[in-house]
Amino acid sequence: MIKKTTLIIMLLFTAYSFSQTATTSLVSSTKPVKPTVLVERGPYLQSGTATRVIVKWRTNLATESVVNYGTELGALAMNKTSSNVTKEHEVTLSGLKANTKYYFNIGNKKGVLSESVTGDMYVITAPNIGTKQFVRAWILGDAGTGNNNQRAVRDAYYNYVATSPENTGKTDMMLFLGDNAYGSGKDDEYQKAFFDIYDNMLKKSVAWSCLGNHDGKSADSEKQSGPYYDIFTFPTKGQAGGIPSGTEAYYSFDYANIHFIILDSHHTNREIGGAMYNWAENDIQNTTQDWIVTLFHHPVYTKGSHDSDTEDRLIEMRENFMPMLEANGIDLVLNGHSHSYERSYFLNGHHGFSNTFNGDEMTKGGHTVGTNGHGNGKIDSDGAYQKTNEATEGAVYITTGSAGKISGGDLNHQAMFLSLNQLGSCVMEVADDGKGGQNLTVKFISENNEIEDYFTINKTGLAFNADDNKPEQNSSMVSYESHLKTLNITVNPNERLKKVKFYNSIGKLVKKSRKESISVSKLSKGLYVVEIITNINTYSESIKL
Amino acid sequence: MCNKKYIANNIKNLLLITAFLLLAIPVFAHGDLSIQIAEKTKAITKSPNNFELYYERGLLYQQHVEYNKALNDYIKSESLGNTNNDLKYSMAEVYYLSEDYNKALKFISNYLEIDSINVKAKKLEAQILFNLKAYKKSLKAYRYVINQMVDTRPEDILEYSNIILAENPNNYHDALEAIDYGLKQLGLNTLSLQLKKLEYLEASNQVKKVLEQYNYFILQYKRKEFWYYKKAKYLQKINKPKDANIALQLAAISIEQLDAKFKNTNSIIRLQTQIKNLETTLN
Repeated sequence: MIKKTTLIIMLLFTAYSFSQTATTSLVSSTKPVKPTVLVERGPYLQSGTATRVIVKWRTNLATESVVNYGTELGALAMNKTSSNVTKEHEVTLSGLKANTKYYFNIGNKKGVLSESVTGDMYVITAPNIGTKQFVRAWILGDAGTGNNNQRAVRDAYYNYVATSPENTGKTDMMLFLGDNAYGSGKDDEYQKAFFDIYDNMLKKSVAWSCLGNHDGKSADSEKQSGPYYDIFTFPTKGQAGGIPSGTEAYYSFDYANIHFIILDSHHTNREIGGAMYNWAENDIQNTTQDWIVTLFHHPVYTKGSHDSDTEDRLIEMRENFMPMLEANGIDLVLNGHSHSYERSYFLNGHHGFSNTFNGDEMTKGGHTVGTNGHGNGKIDSDGAYQKTNEATEGAVYITTGSAGKISGGDLNHQAMFLSLNQLGSCVMEVADDGKGGQNLTVKFISENNEIEDYFTINKTGLAFNADDNKPEQNSSMVSYESHLKTLNITVNPNERLKKVKFYNSIGKLVKKSRKESISVSKLSKGLYVVEIITNINTYSESIKL
Repeated sequence: MCNKKYIANNIKNLLLITAFLLLAIPVFAHGDLSIQIAEKTKAITKSPNNFELYYERGLLYQQHVEYNKALNDYIKSESLGNTNNDLKYSMAEVYYLSEDYNKALKFISNYLEIDSINVKAKKLEAQILFNLKAYKKSLKAYRYVINQMVDTRPEDILEYSNIILAENPNNYHDALEAIDYGLKQLGLNTLSLQLKKLEYLEASNQVKKVLEQYNYFILQYKRKEFWYYKKAKYLQKINKPKDANIALQLAAISIEQLDAKFKNTNSIIRLQTQIKNLETTLN
């Protein structure tokens, strides 16, 4: 009997090891035996864009960094090498094509250290900014326990994505909502609760994160040092879209037609007019993306293991940041911290305590939006929450901090449609609605493989970029003949043209004329204000050359 | 038989412990800091003269924002013979957080006597001195921080420039130099520093440079409507109504060219009202 058991265990281990990504170790065949270089962490992907991605990994011994990559698994024709000898490897692949799958392996100058013979180590570059296509993001809050709860939540998502009838196996990004490694976000805790758990996904999907309070125990946002800041590499100079923040504590990025704003609700000053607030306001007011999603750790609405009515960080984020984000068209707010799943109605303008929420209040900005804003947001029930070009208000707030543990709480926040003390993670999927718009759907997948909640926000009229359909820029006074690069001015019959002035995009006077037909061939492309002065009046028109 | 009973009892105990742990996990799942404090308290009960334990519990209290308790533990740790320099830093930090700046200064000075080049300590010293309105000394300490710091943040540069102006409210030259230094360190387009530069240029009446700075934002941004309006407001302020009108027109055109979904956001609706109001004032 014992022998049989041993045999079964051996067989299971053999099968398991075959199913894993192959890791090649360089073992010298000459004597004396040299120390073997082993990959201890990664590879994992950071700051992916349409043209570049950062590949990071750790080795047990200091060595050079080599990434071989290519679009065919068996022919990784390109490589990027860094001769710097290090244990912490960080290689930026640039000049990539958008929306393209690149297989890769990692190694040193002597050879490959880690590869996937089955093709499970790859990066699919982001689509060009503004592209409307299917996008799937896996959202994990407070995951970092490193225990079986976390594994069960992970496996439920893996099962979901593997059996999804459409876009099977596709995960465009992982969004971590902080507290990625308990109890203090130390390096060894990250190894156990982050890299060891999500290893397979991290080598084919770009991971983004915000700082959680537990990460913050070992990370220092003031110095941008510590494990959290060492492990992650986020864009500080707007490399992935958005406005440069100058810090990894808060930043933004674009993916397809979605703009993501990542805030630090833990260490960084949360006041209106503070550096982070000013950055976020300017960042959101500069995006032209169809969808805007923000993530930060501390939830603005929760009655889970934390209380958004009593805790300062939560109140400050709600009172200071939410009015500004809502005024600029935020669609989805993702938080963690409370170890539960709490999902709101379709909200706008509710910045008070739980007991001041009134779901029937739809005037003067909120608290809910639209005729079904107080409904469940399900397409097959109360209907999707709706945003149009005219009705731009409304966002769903999700506190989803149960990817590693649950901690109960009253779970009775009035702004929440549903509150669950349930392990799980969320998946966000953006897809065509078949009518020229898009659906943003979020599902909560429990550790038992059940979809315990889902909702959809629908946006109409996203099929084409606005500029594509703009008519010729002619007015009653100004007509532009682009083939002749000539501007024709027509004034009223009883008026006489005296002068035409051209002001460029920074308001500088760049051309004057007294003619009715004016050559603009020497003016550079851009926006102009054309001031038309007659003997009776002064008119202003605009023209885009 | 006896053995069987023993095994059965053990299994029973094991099940009871497992059941207790299963029940306890959700209860203790979040408050790990409180648990750590409780554990440390237990350890202190066993070794009441161990100054390390008091110091460690003090750190936990400090993380838990219980500054008085943290301070009591630090003082106790010191009285038991803890002469470690880290204790002095922690005491300085807690006094600073409790807004007792004189005591904070005393302890950070003690710390710096032993480790005069610690950047974190120098920064705390600068912040304490700032709150004591000893701006010249604060500036000197912060200058050291800026020169030695490896990972500078925008907030550090902003704090430094703020101290420069506290020391001399007219010293926009040095404050702007600090901002430029930050831009070189962190990236030329770092927003919060560019915004501060604009603020300082305006405050120091450097009209030409202010307009250049507005133009920087206009050229840098994809969406320009907010910046055209801000520029128009400034032009009105410096009595250039014609230029302000042009900027307002450009703002209106920029809004017109926006994708429809942005035109109806509350921020744009508010901006349109502001544009109209300013137009009325100008004309």
